[in-house]
Amino acid sequence: MDDTAVRLDGLTRRFGPVRAVDGLDLTIARGSTVALLGPNGAGKSTAISLMLGLDRPDSGTVSLFGRPPAEAVRAGRVGAMLQDAGWAPSATVREVVDLARALYPRAVQTDRILALAGLTERAGRRLDKLSGGEQQRARFAFALAGDPDLLVLDEPTAALDVAARQAFWAAIDRYTADGHTVLFSTHHLHEADEFADRVVVLAAGRVVADGPPAQIRALAGGRTVSFDVAGGPLDGLDALPGVRSVQVRGGRVALTTDDADATVLALAGTRGFQGLEVTAAALETAFLTLTATPTTRTATPTEH
Amino acid sequence: MRAYLRFELRRLARDPRLLLFTVLTPVVTYLIFSGVGLDGDRLEGVDAAVALMVGLAGYGAVAGVLSVGTSVSQERASGWLRQLRVTPLPAWQAVIAKALVCTLSGVPSVIAVGCAGRIQHHVELGAGRWAALLLLMWVGTVPFALLGLAIGYGLTPQLAQPVNFLAFLGLSVLGGLLVPVAYFPSVLRHLAHALPTYRFAELGWRSAAGLTPTPSGLAVLAAWTLAFTALATWAYRRSTTRR
Repeated sequence: MDDTAVRLDGLTRRFGPVRAVDGLDLTIARGSTVALLGPNGAGKSTAISLMLGLDRPDSGTVSLFGRPPAEAVRAGRVGAMLQDAGWAPSATVREVVDLARALYPRAVQTDRILALAGLTERAGRRLDKLSGGEQQRARFAFALAGDPDLLVLDEPTAALDVAARQAFWAAIDRYTADGHTVLFSTHHLHEADEFADRVVVLAAGRVVADGPPAQIRALAGGRTVSFDVAGGPLDGLDALPGVRSVQVRGGRVALTTDDADATVLALAGTRGFQGLEVTAAALETAFLTLTATPTTRTATPTEH
Repeated sequence: MRAYLRFELRRLARDPRLLLFTVLTPVVTYLIFSGVGLDGDRLEGVDAAVALMVGLAGYGAVAGVLSVGTSVSQERASGWLRQLRVTPLPAWQAVIAKALVCTLSGVPSVIAVGCAGRIQHHVELGAGRWAALLLLMWVGTVPFALLGLAIGYGLTPQLAQPVNFLAFLGLSVLGGLLVPVAYFPSVLRHLAHALPTYRFAELGWRSAAGLTPTPSGLAVLAAWTLAFTALATWAYRRSTTRR
């Protein structure tokens, strides 16, 4: 019990008729680095808002380190980097870092924070004079200045170029090396793959897959079997062996399948085809397939 | 909370617009208005030069207090206040600190216009009355700080700016901060007496004359303070329940 950092139970949040978060259950062990992966609109930011106590769920409960989120935040156990969080105008990097240090009960030394975020050279700069990547690293510095046990990062690398992204992940890496719990949301599969030890895939406010990156990759993997529609029947395609989803676009049928051989054999045996092509599903496409499926796929019943 | 207060004050000191509105504008306006030969005139129970000094000090103070309160709107829109809410700083302390910073932003105006009065018109009040004037014109900005926060928490930046400007202009002109109410038609004069701006300046006029505040003046200020507190509380609650 005590090694649980985050526990979400049946969390639901509606906006009008839309269930942004729909019965979300999630338990995150201390010391793990978890990626919340999903397309835009999957409910990642809403889930994070609920988790941090910035928003109230319609039903369900959140607990951080065994207590309500507001209490955990008050106790200085949580640091967060929110999506598009702005700054008070005209403050400098050092000023916001010092503010964060003063607000948290046990603070990291300013120099260490600046070094960790790669901002040592920029300490005296005003925040509105920083580049996008530097501003994002300043947000990171603000979030980790109080040495929080749980660091929550909402789309930390959105709007960063490749170099800034690498510098950013290097900084996160240094932080997690100390055994802190990190939860970050992203819609980049490769980021989840590379930097998390557990990936939770979210779609339409629900967990559709949950497991170590390798397993998620395997789940999302598969192949695409495509051929010309050519007037042939479309019904029943989803019942072919291995087929996970059926898409028809521009006169071609694309089947995403877990077992391309079986699918092709069945196709050949039942209805024939024209212009057949079998390709490895691109990661992004496969990921879309995964998140489009309404059923829950739990890679393993892992309790991290 | 002290760290946040320090952080906010440092930012305040760095804001050049604030200096322009709360120091330069009222001082220049005062020098122009008071230079038209008011010798011997008496307004609001004090020399005209003193009455104008208090009015314009109040004008600058209200400008500063309202604009700092309104700037909360931008901090909200930028996500900065949301970011603060995921730190251990309790929300109520953030609001109290902000309100305090608001009221403090009115002080430079009172000091600057006071100095201008002293230098230009040799206004002599004695240390006690100067101190009372400064103290009351600081404390008296509380209702305006609350109005500014209500605007800042309640409206988007696009709306907050014009609403702030209209509120400021309406209250300061109708409250007799720029043109003394002695020159107003009687209907407007009665209106002025019900406004917080007039009653705020009255604190200054009375202390310059060595008198204590009037009960009716305090009652009017207290009523506006209550109303603006309710408005600010409502706006604040609304701002934290929506995204």
